[in-house]
Amino acid sequence: MSAFSWDSFIAMGGYAAYVWPAYAVFFIVLIADYVSPTLRRRRDLRELRARMARQSARQQRPPSAS
Amino acid sequence: MGVRMSRTRLSTACVAVLRRDLTLAWRRRGDIVMPVLYALIVITLFPFALGPEDALLQRIAGGVVLVTMLLAMLLALDAMFRSDIEDGSLEQLMLSPQPLALMLGMKILAHWITTALPLILIAPLLAGMLHLPAPVMPVLVYALLLATPLLSLLGAVLVALTAGTRRSGMLLALMLLPLCVPVVIFAAGAVAAAQQGLPWLAPMAWLGAALVMALVLAPLACAAALRIALDA
Amino acid sequence: MANWIPLWVHKLSSPPNFYRFAGTLRPWALGLALLLGAIALYGGLVLAPADYQQGDAYRIIFIHVPCAWMGLFVYGVMAIASFISLVWRIKLAEVVAMESAPIGAAFTFITLCTGSLWGKPMWGTWWTWDARLTSELVLLFLYLGVIGLYHSFEDRRQGARAAAFLAIIGIINVPIVHFSVNWWNTLHQGSTVRLLGPSKMSGDMLWPLLTMMAATKFYYIASLFGRVRTDLLSLESGKDWVRQIAEAQGHAAAKQEGRR
Repeated sequence: MSAFSWDSFIAMGGYAAYVWPAYAVFFIVLIADYVSPTLRRRRDLRELRARMARQSARQQRPPSAS
Repeated sequence: MGVRMSRTRLSTACVAVLRRDLTLAWRRRGDIVMPVLYALIVITLFPFALGPEDALLQRIAGGVVLVTMLLAMLLALDAMFRSDIEDGSLEQLMLSPQPLALMLGMKILAHWITTALPLILIAPLLAGMLHLPAPVMPVLVYALLLATPLLSLLGAVLVALTAGTRRSGMLLALMLLPLCVPVVIFAAGAVAAAQQGLPWLAPMAWLGAALVMALVLAPLACAAALRIALDA
Repeated sequence: MANWIPLWVHKLSSPPNFYRFAGTLRPWALGLALLLGAIALYGGLVLAPADYQQGDAYRIIFIHVPCAWMGLFVYGVMAIASFISLVWRIKLAEVVAMESAPIGAAFTFITLCTGSLWGKPMWGTWWTWDARLTSELVLLFLYLGVIGLYHSFEDRRQGARAAAFLAIIGIINVPIVHFSVNWWNTLHQGSTVRLLGPSKMSGDMLWPLLTMMAATKFYYIASLFGRVRTDLLSLESGKDWVRQIAEAQGHAAAKQEGRR
């Protein structure tokens, strides 16, 4: 077995155009799948905090006839 | 005595549901013609797209007619319970003492008579337009006689599931596709086998077995789905 | 709730408990997934020798096959959770079923993409109506149907129950589709090229594959728990425990973004 070389690793025996896109799809889709709930969660919590702030403001200052 | 009473009452209820749906469908005769017209239009488009070569059209005739029937049925499927949900008669049916599955089975039967039966009647004409050989024609009709009730039954379960939602046209197609793949494969397979002079009884037997299963299970599933979707 | 269900299951299935449990387990699952994935990639891309027939193109197998397997596995989990949610009406089971669907769809999508990227150099075409590819496509449609039905309801719990019913119908359908597609393939005598020769894999190709299968399992756990936590927060947003979390996060966010 020959020594490891980056060039031949990247070339993938001439199949680089198929192997690397396949791995790219794998990682991109899974990263997107992993990140999306985190973003959703952050947005949900921000909305909840805003709602709680509004509620507490309303409780502290009873509504003047409006 | 009591069993007998309830049995006669059940059959009258079934007949009443069936008669009501058929009468309603007859009053709106235009809606019955629509799927037939749609199938005719689709079939007419194929020679325009592919060229009027007899050999080519003959080869694809069976499959094209089957898929066209499927799409025409899908078009009519959405309306299966729509008006009943809107005027509240479906809720009446759910509250009635008669078993819901049986009543829904009657509704599915009525829907099949009003949408699929006209399509089956016109199918030999459509297949003839695509030069399907005459000896294969009976096989096509048998295949449709088994496949269309199967599609009606499967479709009914899915329609029941989408009953609580507002827009469901495209969603229904998406949900029905995986379920109708085996139906299309066996129905078209039987026609293709007959066209090649091969035995076509095996795929037909599979279709028949699936239909028997669906006849028993689909109304029950439909009732369960309706209770879930309407939250009752 | 039935009596025979152990108490700890009952306790764990309460949303705040599961939220905490999933929160502690999730980093470990992700860490294991990354570690095993890195080992598998090193073994598969660097150590394993090139295939004598397919050259280096076969290396797609190390993601293709684990993802295909996960596509089916996740569907199984989804169907079981759906069944539990319909029979015992456990909220957690509903959430698990509905949040499994996008993950399974992602795995199935990857399987289709990598399969066609593999097929192009081997078969000379991106897509062939091979029995396995076709079944995989039908599986993707099943997932999309479940996701679509879930999101078309205004009330999320009602949507979850309807979609759970569809998921159960789907799992009855999966073997039927597989059988019919196989029959169809023999009828039409399509391509008989097979990507995976039976049991011709040598050991140094097999262990990266098995390691990657384990890695995707752990990834599924990590992703599912993250999604379930998010869903539980928004489903229970009126409850006290969620408000406490929101407040705690608010204080933390003032200084730095909370990591978990």
